[in-house]
Order: sequence, then structure tokens, then C-alpha cells
Amino acid sequence: MSAFSNISREARFLVKQRYFLALLSIVLLLSVFSVWSGISETKTQLSTIERLQEKDDVDRANVLAKQSDYGSAAYYTFHLTHSAPSAMAFAAMGQRDIYPWKHRIRMLALEGQIYETDSDNPELSFLGRFDFAFLISVLLPLFVILLLHDLRSAEREAGRYDLLIATASKQQRLWLSRASVLCTALAIALLLPFVIGALIMQAPLVSTLQVIAVVLGHILFWMLLTLWFTSSKVTVKQSSAQIASVLLAVWLGVTVLVPVASDIAIDEMVQSPNGGEIVLTQREAVNDAWDLPFAETWEPFIATHPQWKNYTEMNSQFEWKWYYAFQQVGDQKAAAISTAYREATFEKNTLAGRFAFLSPPMLAQKLLSSIAETDTLAAMKYEQEVRDYHQALRQFYYPLLFGNANRTETQSNQTINNKTTGNKAAFDPKALSKLPKFTTFKNTIDSSKENI
Amino acid sequence: MSVIKQVTRDEWRFWHRTKLAATIIIIGTLLTLVSAVVNTLEMQHASHEREHLQQSAQAQFLEQPDRHPHRMVHYGHYVFRTPSALSIIEPGVDAFTGTSIFLEGHKQNTAMFSDQRQASGMTRFSSLTPSFLLQVLVPLFIILIGYASVTREKEAGTLNIMITQGINVWHLLLGKYFALVSSGLLMLLPLIIAAIWASIKGESALITSSFVAGYILYILVWSGIVLAVSAINKKNSASFAILVSLWIVLCILLPRIGSSSAAAIAPSPSKLEADFAVKEELRKLGDGHDAADPAFEQLKKNLLTKYNVDKVEDLPINFRGTVAQYSEKKLTEILNQFAEKRMQEELEQAHIARQFGWVTPTTAIRSFSMLVAGTSLETHHRFLREAEKLRFDFVQSLNKVHQDNLSYEADANRNKNADATKAARVDAANWQVLSEFSFKPDTAQTRLFRSAIYAVQLFFWFGLIVLLLRFAVRRIS
Repeated sequence: MSAFSNISREARFLVKQRYFLALLSIVLLLSVFSVWSGISETKTQLSTIERLQEKDDVDRANVLAKQSDYGSAAYYTFHLTHSAPSAMAFAAMGQRDIYPWKHRIRMLALEGQIYETDSDNPELSFLGRFDFAFLISVLLPLFVILLLHDLRSAEREAGRYDLLIATASKQQRLWLSRASVLCTALAIALLLPFVIGALIMQAPLVSTLQVIAVVLGHILFWMLLTLWFTSSKVTVKQSSAQIASVLLAVWLGVTVLVPVASDIAIDEMVQSPNGGEIVLTQREAVNDAWDLPFAETWEPFIATHPQWKNYTEMNSQFEWKWYYAFQQVGDQKAAAISTAYREATFEKNTLAGRFAFLSPPMLAQKLLSSIAETDTLAAMKYEQEVRDYHQALRQFYYPLLFGNANRTETQSNQTINNKTTGNKAAFDPKALSKLPKFTTFKNTIDSSKENI
Repeated sequence: MSVIKQVTRDEWRFWHRTKLAATIIIIGTLLTLVSAVVNTLEMQHASHEREHLQQSAQAQFLEQPDRHPHRMVHYGHYVFRTPSALSIIEPGVDAFTGTSIFLEGHKQNTAMFSDQRQASGMTRFSSLTPSFLLQVLVPLFIILIGYASVTREKEAGTLNIMITQGINVWHLLLGKYFALVSSGLLMLLPLIIAAIWASIKGESALITSSFVAGYILYILVWSGIVLAVSAINKKNSASFAILVSLWIVLCILLPRIGSSSAAAIAPSPSKLEADFAVKEELRKLGDGHDAADPAFEQLKKNLLTKYNVDKVEDLPINFRGTVAQYSEKKLTEILNQFAEKRMQEELEQAHIARQFGWVTPTTAIRSFSMLVAGTSLETHHRFLREAEKLRFDFVQSLNKVHQDNLSYEADANRNKNADATKAARVDAANWQVLSEFSFKPDTAQTRLFRSAIYAVQLFFWFGLIVLLLRFAVRRIS
């Protein structure tokens, strides 16, 4: 009963404070704006994917209709891959403006294609977006500090402190209940727009609760820190503003200095190959193949694809099977450095996750983008899906290319040539209707993973 | 005059005594110093690395053996953007754009491997660049140093004493203002040194001095805000709370809200989406790899009439090379048309975001700083255009070699056998057609002209501050 009366008294007291109400309504407005812009961004991305999907299907059908052999079909058709924003992405756009979430790929060497980024406007990325995760990770601590730093000192400065202490049955409880009321109001202002947003986007209940937990946890951390500091003996003689300055310095340390220092440390700890080297290696390998004896291509290709070892005979200076074989070999030659590059990204991300424990704002940011599946890991997962899909395309085409190779008069597209007609009897357009599609392909991986 | 000096000196003495302000000034100066040094080293390293990569890419291209010229069109070339001199202070969009592009025939590739993609993801909010520190953190430091500069005197009752003693309120405020500005300038010092360093490294003195002047103006603005708020309020705590709230809104919130609004107001379709429209247009052109494509029938007829022959085989030039040239030209026109459209859309978004300079000085200084330093979106676009020009030049030169130096017969039969393939090659000396690429920042005039409007924004803020101070003076007296 006494706890309740404590809280209701505090609440009545606070409603009368203009400053408090002003701050709260600003927070509410910011939260509404962040959720609104997040939802608008998610919807834009979703409708972009939908439009791309439609255009992609039409485009491929058009292109395929004109082809007369499997090699050209594989050369000219692109395949859309994408990673749709999750229902929770509106709350944390994470790394989606830096890592690509859509790619069109074809049967050529993948290493030459996968680093293409269809990125957002770099100036907007540089300025940074204002999403819910930013509000929670960077600004929330400032709100808590602004609300709580003068709990005691304001009373002291107003001359009410001794009176309050005398009338309160337990001192600790007085400050705790006042802080709780303030922070609860703050949490409601922050979370109300988010919950409405989650309902609109039909976000899963579990991740909604997880986000709420992160927000409450982050508020609690700063509330306890502020309470602990304001109750320490150091602050007895300090003014409200001096106390707040110290708290701001702490905020500065964990929000700016720790991340910057961790970034430098991580760069020193993890040696990453330069991305440019991957593409260069791949380019040299693919282009050299034209001038090298055929055996130089077949040897490494057969090493990884022994089932085609009896099909490497060449009837012309150009055959599609050879062309795609050296594309494959180009990828194989760049594989080591490409894997090292991805491992370095992964390791940097893991280390960043560990360093984040030194900085609650970074931790909140990381947790939110992880819940929303918009973090670096999600981007890497998508990249792996693209790689797997590309592999599936190869597995689909190789039997067609090698099986027909002996009977097909082929043509080159890398170099200019006559429109020679392929062996039409051997080319069956219906075979291409079974081309794997990224969406269905992705579902099968996901379901097979669930079975495991 | 001596009154102003006296007040300034007293203010400094007070800071020295209270330690807090002194600590903040020292920390602020050290931070900018460290960031300037670290950034200078990093940028120099990046600059050397990219120059080196550029040279080795060029050498690699020239070292290629005798080949069919069209193979070199697909072999392609890499160009790297060397950072501008002032990017040691203001890296701008550099970390987000990717700094190398692969150039090849029939395609315009995007820039690859931006630094942010290779980074740990920890520096999305903050970065250890002098520009971030000066634009975002130094205002906070000025607030912490100066929020109580007038309210302190009010709370202690000394302000009234001074006024009754006949001190001019303007003199008093100016004295405090100069003290506050000088503390800000101290934190600016490492930036000034770095700017001088950039001048030595070849940046125009006009540019570096305008750059520094912009930042000085910014510090004048923030010192003015702090002083005015402190003069208008009665209590330390109120002045502090208002200033910190202002800092959150002006330095952190509004620039980001500007960026989010720009994306929402003027959404730009992704490049991937535009690519479909490009492909549609291109399909009408015909495939440049295929000289028999009906799209080139007219070209063929014209040539046959011109040289007065009946068959393409009899032409004195290689018709395939002609087709390659013709279709590359048409295709590039279409690609450029779409690329220009996309750049326009990006600029439009950036302009919307930059209009927020009228509501927050932070956006004003940010735009000004990027444009003067030559690390803005405009410069990146120029890089894309120059890279495209180089691409078109070397591809067309190779196509000309294809047309003039390789016989039609050898070309047509090249897949018959190994000897025929060998015969369909041209001498590697032809690869010399590749011109050198070195990316230079825009001229000083261009950059200053572009940034003029953002300088106006900063002056606008300065004007507001003067008005605000006048209001404060009237309030006190």
C-alpha cells in the first residue's frame, strides 16, 4: 500500500512539472517519427523487391525466347536474388544501407559479380538515418540523464531536501520510486509508437518482446547508473549541472570513444585481404584462360567436377562448356582469398560483438539489429544464399552444356562472331522451364534447415 | 575595451580555478589533435595505396600479350579515386562510396568495396575524424564550459553588483563571449595545423583558409548560442538543461531527420531497377557482338554504298569492329542518360537534406565542409563521370583497332582452329591506347562557388546569434 501511495504521489507531482511534460512529448514525437520513417523505408524496400521480381520474370522470359542454345541462355539470363526486410526491420535498419540486399546474377564467375553494390545515396548514409534503434541506443541515455541527474540536487537547491528526507519513511525508496515513475513514463513514450508500429507491420510477438526487453534493459542500466552516481558522496556539494556534466562525459565515453577505440583495435587485430584483390585475381584467371591451352582449364575443373572428365573434348576453339569451365576455375582460384575476406568480416563482427559489452549503447544497437535481422551477420547470410543459388544454377546448366556439347556448334559471345545456329534439335527450351528460382530455392534451404 | 579584456581574463581565471572547464578544454584539444594525426596518417596511407594500385592496374593492362582486341575490352581496367588533400580533416562521403571501379565494355559498374563495408560497424554514429569532433562534440564541450557563464553571476548576485557599478552589459557579454570563443578556437587549433599541412601538400590557400573560416564561424555561432541562453536564464540548471536539449536537437537529431526526410520525400529507384529500363532500351539497339543483328542493317548499307562494294567481306575495314564501335557509342549514350538521371536524383536528395542547414548550424557546416574539402557527393559524381569517360575512350580505341588492324576474314574464322585463333590477334603495342587516370579534386573556384550557399547559411546563423544576444542584453538591463 505504501509503495503504491508513494508512486501515485510522485506521479501527481510530476504531471505538474512543465519541463518534464515537454521532454516527454518531444520523446514521443521522436519515437513516432523514427517508427514512421522505418515503416516507410521497409515498405519502399518491399515494393521495390516486388517490382523487381515482376520485371525480372518478364525480362528472363523475353531473353530466353530468343536463345537457341544453352550456353547463350546461361550467358544472357540474369536472376534476381534479394533479401526482404524482416517485419521488425522498421525498428532497426542496421547495415542494410551499406550491404546490398538485392543482386542480379548470372552464370559467369561469381566473384566478379557479388561485390557489386546497388547502395543507397552515400551522402544520406554518411549523415545517418534516424531509426528507432538510433533513438534507443544513442539518445535514450541522454533522456535518462536529463530526467534523473537532478533528483536530489534539485531538491537541495530548492531547499526541500531535508524536509523530504525527514518525511520519507525510507530514503532509498523515495528516490527509487521517483526515478521509476520518471523512467516508466519515458519508456511508455518511447515504446508506445514502437508497439503500434509492430502491430501494423505484424511483427512476431517474440521479437517485439525482445525489443521491449532491450529498451527496458537499456533504460534500467542508465537509471541505476544515474541513481548510483547521484547518491554517491562526491555529488553532495555539486550542482545539478555539474552532476549532469559528469554523466554526459560517461555517455560520451561509451557512445563515442569506446566504439572508435574498438574499431581501431579490431582493425589491428584482424587482417583482412583487400577486397580489390579478389576481383583482380578472378579477372586475371578468367582472362588468361583464353590464351592458355585448354588443358589448363580442364585440369582444375575436372579436379572439382570429376563427373565430366570424359566430356572435355573440344571441337572448336570456342565451346560454351569450356567457357563456363574457366569461369568456374576463376572462382576457384579466387576462393581462398575470398573466403579469407569473408572470414575477416565475420571475425570483425564477432569481435565487435564482444567489444560492445564495454558500451551499453553499442550493445543495444547490436541487439536491436540482430533481432531485426539487419546486422552484418544477416547480410553475410544473404551473401551465402546468393552463392548457394549460383551453385545451383551451375548444377542445373552443366549437364545441359556437357551433355549436348559434342553435337552443338557453338558461338562466342565474349568475342564478336557470326550468328551461327546452334543445333536446334539438341536445344530444348522446355528444359529451361526447370531453371531454379531464387525464392523457391531459398524456401527449400530454409525448410531443410528446419528439418535438421 | 579594457573592460572586455578584463572580463575575458577573469573568465579564464575562473575556468583555471574550477578545473572542470580546464579539463574539458584539455580533453577537447587532445581529442581533435589525436584524430587529426590518426586521420592524416590513414589518409596518406590510403592515398599512397590507391596511387600504387592505379599504377599497377595500368601496367598490368599494358603488359597483356597479343590478343583479339575485343578480349581487351572485356579484360577491362581499374580506376581508383585518390583522396583530396583536406580529407585528412573531412573524409565526407569517401568511406561510404567505394573508391575503385572496374571499367569494361558494354557496362557501367558501380564503385566497389567501400571502407564501411570492410569496417567493424562500430563507427556508424561516431568516427574519429576531426570533422565529426568539431561539428558534433566541440559544441557540447563549449556548452559544458560556458552554460553558467552568466547564470553563475546571477545566482551569486554579482551580476547586479556589476551593473550597478556601471559596467556596460554589452561589454560584459562580449568579454565572456571572447573567452568562450577562445576556448573553442583552442580545440580548433589541431584542425588549423592540419589545414596548413594540407596547404603544404598542394591544396590551394584560398580553399584551406575558407575551410578554417567556416569552422571559426561555426564556433562563433555555438559560443553565441551558449552565451545567449546563459544570459536569458536565471538559473544554472535551467541554462544547462536547455543547452543540452538544444545540442541534442541541433547536432544529432536534425541532421539525421534531414537525411531520413530526404529519402522519404524524394525516393530514388535503385540502380537495379533502372537497369531493366536500360536493358529494354539496349535490346532495341541490337547486340554489338553480333554483326548480323538486323539492327545494323542500315549501317551496313551505308558502308557498302560509301566504299562502293557489294559484300562486307570486300570492305577495306573490319565490319565487326565498326559494329562494335557503333553499338558501344549508342549503348553508352543510353547508359549515360540513365546514369545522369540517377546522379540528379541523388543530388536532389542531398539538396533536401542540406536545406536543414537553415534549421541547424551543424548541417550547414557539414555541407560547407564537405564541399570545400572536395569530399562531397558532387566530387564522387565527377569521379564516376571521369571514370566513364576513360572507359568509353579505351573501349572505343580498342574497337577502332579492331576495325582497322584486324582483317574481317581472320576475325570471322578465328574459332576454326588454334592457328586461326592466333591469326585473329593484334599486337600488344595497341594496348597503349589506354590513357592515364589521375583524379584531381575540383578547382578552388568550383568548390567555393558550390559551397557559397552553405556559407550564407552559416552567416544567417551568425546573424541570428547577434539578434539573440541583443535580446539577452535587453533582458538583463
